Amino acid sequence: MSKPAARGPSNANSKDGEICPVCKSSRYLNKHMKFLINPECYHKMCESCVDRIFSHGPAPCPIAGCKRTLRKVKFREQRFEDLKVEREVDIRRRVAAVFDKTEDDFETLRDYNDYLETVEEITWNLILKIDVEATEKKLRQYEAAQKAERNIQAQTYQPDPSLPSDTAQVVLKKSAAQRRAQGNPTGNTPDPASGAGNGQQTEPGLRFKGLKKYVPPPPEAPFDPFDGWAIEPQYYVTQNDYDVEWLTRAINDPLHIGGGYDMRDFYSWALCDAFSGFGVFVEDGKDVEMADVF
Amino acid sequence: MASTQVALSPRPNPPGPGASKPLPLKSKTLNVDNAKPAASVAASRASTPGLETELDAGAQMNEQVRNRYVIDKKIGQGTYADVFSAHVRSDPSKLVAIKRIRLQQEWENGITMDSIREIRFLSELKHPNVILLHDVFSTKDQKISLVLEHLPLGDLEEVWLKKDKKDPMIAYTQADIKSWILMLSRAVWFCHSHRILHRDIKSNNCLIAANGCLKLADFGLARPFAEPGRKMTHQVITRYYRPPELLYMAQHYGPKVDVWSVGMILAELTLRQFMCPGNTEMEQLNMYCEIFGTPTEETWPGVSKLQCYVAPDKPAAQRGHPKSWWESNFGLIGEDGRNLLRGMLTMDPKKRLSSEEVVKHPWFSSSPRPTKMEDLPTKGKADLKRFGDDLKRHAGELDSGRGDKVARKLFG
Repeated sequence: MSKPAARGPSNANSKDGEICPVCKSSRYLNKHMKFLINPECYHKMCESCVDRIFSHGPAPCPIAGCKRTLRKVKFREQRFEDLKVEREVDIRRRVAAVFDKTEDDFETLRDYNDYLETVEEITWNLILKIDVEATEKKLRQYEAAQKAERNIQAQTYQPDPSLPSDTAQVVLKKSAAQRRAQGNPTGNTPDPASGAGNGQQTEPGLRFKGLKKYVPPPPEAPFDPFDGWAIEPQYYVTQNDYDVEWLTRAINDPLHIGGGYDMRDFYSWALCDAFSGFGVFVEDGKDVEMADVF
Repeated sequence: MASTQVALSPRPNPPGPGASKPLPLKSKTLNVDNAKPAASVAASRASTPGLETELDAGAQMNEQVRNRYVIDKKIGQGTYADVFSAHVRSDPSKLVAIKRIRLQQEWENGITMDSIREIRFLSELKHPNVILLHDVFSTKDQKISLVLEHLPLGDLEEVWLKKDKKDPMIAYTQADIKSWILMLSRAVWFCHSHRILHRDIKSNNCLIAANGCLKLADFGLARPFAEPGRKMTHQVITRYYRPPELLYMAQHYGPKVDVWSVGMILAELTLRQFMCPGNTEMEQLNMYCEIFGTPTEETWPGVSKLQCYVAPDKPAAQRGHPKSWWESNFGLIGEDGRNLLRGMLTMDPKKRLSSEEVVKHPWFSSSPRPTKMEDLPTKGKADLKRFGDDLKRHAGELDSGRGDKVARKLFG
């Protein structure tokens, strides 16, 4: 993409590209001028032009010869001085977001390198504008397949059956990609047959050799109030009341009752003490290493 | 010999030639038979004039334990204890906090009650939500040092209380409150099932570990359940969290006193302010009576026999705040949450939920699920954002400002 060429050598400011190619206003007139670009065509223009032209919805790019339709939300400040670099970084970011496998996802290093090569080829095709249509299609297909695969896995997990869960709505909202991928048990690639159902998609999607099957994160364990801790007496059952003479005074004492003293606490304590040591054999414990606190 | 100064230094782990001496101490801290390192210590002492050449077995063990830790810096100072941040000698990435109890005027001949209680109960209780006591040792000048878990992210009070305007407001949701209260309730349940009353539960004593886990600390007022007929003091639990039966000076009480305190913390987290900040005990009791209604013999059997009970003069005083008051003030935690809160804040301790009932309460299992502890909002995360890379480099460490607060809260 070439930079707009609306500059005259006579203008002192032109060296810095400080003139908006659309409204020709310069930094000399407006100190706070900000240039924005749109990743659609990477034509530079000033903020006020963007506001003026695109505030009422999508409009064609005002630069002569560029007919692309731009939207205001997509405008941003450029990060790199060279717009070519800017564009390449954008493309790489987009491709990397779709092709996010790591070496661990592959059986062998060779497979991973093949995968990287394919990805790099797609990236360069997009950067050099070779076969853009086909490449874009491949990218979209792969993205949809990946998304569908992960969505299916996410959907099979239901957090709590007792809850009025949102699954009903989830089913309603099931995307086309998901429906396509559901007929496809292997999941890694979109099924060529389902692609054919769409009419135009006759070409099979991307396949990578040696790619391990996607394993979803394990579902969350059901809620356990005690987090796995349990303290249950093993050798006895505590009753609510015991008829013992020397306790009657405390049981009937209003001060104990009013203060919230619970005799059952005492019963379970006394029983625990009485039975403590049951099932513990000194011989067994001898070899047990003292657990390190760390 | 270089270790002469080491032996005379009042500091427990003086850096220097003595400290760098490799000691083959790995795990068996309490194993007296592990004679090798002890012998080397004894040998280093042998040439020191004015000191006993022979250390008895207890002193050797103490020496071993003390040598496992290296003190980094002082992070807090109080009237009761000094706190140091330290690390394990064999693995510097493992941080601990060392709380060195100061000698008290009244307790010249022995260890203070507080530290005895703390050592006694903490060495017994091992639970993820109770602060872990790694070791205990004594220093040269006969001061007791407790080696405790390193909990760098402050306490639960810092979460909701905004002390000054500069403090960032920490935003949290019902799920976060649920998670904190659940962790605290588990700790309380664990103490109670081991027949220990904590008796000082407050949000200051709920410390937060680096991974967001809440840990109940400060067992300085804890005691085992009393036998029937044995009197306990009613002068326990910080006033804002003190249950009504203690304010009525009951001397026979049970684990329900801790449940009230947990309820108060739940109320605080929801309201983002103290629920009943009474300046005196009388005022505190008045606040309770205003909210819950003055108890009578019908609503709380046995209350009229308690030492400080005053019967309500007007029947209107028996009525507490209406349901709508609870709904408008505790909207955040929902119907189930209010149910639990009112269960924990019931005037009659017999009707109050037990700690086990609290943990099993449906509020915790209902939607939304309690936040995972790693995802809980903390002050530390906010700080991380603010200081960015600087703090990232020192992850897990205390900066002095925050550390001071931790120490004061922890051990003050």
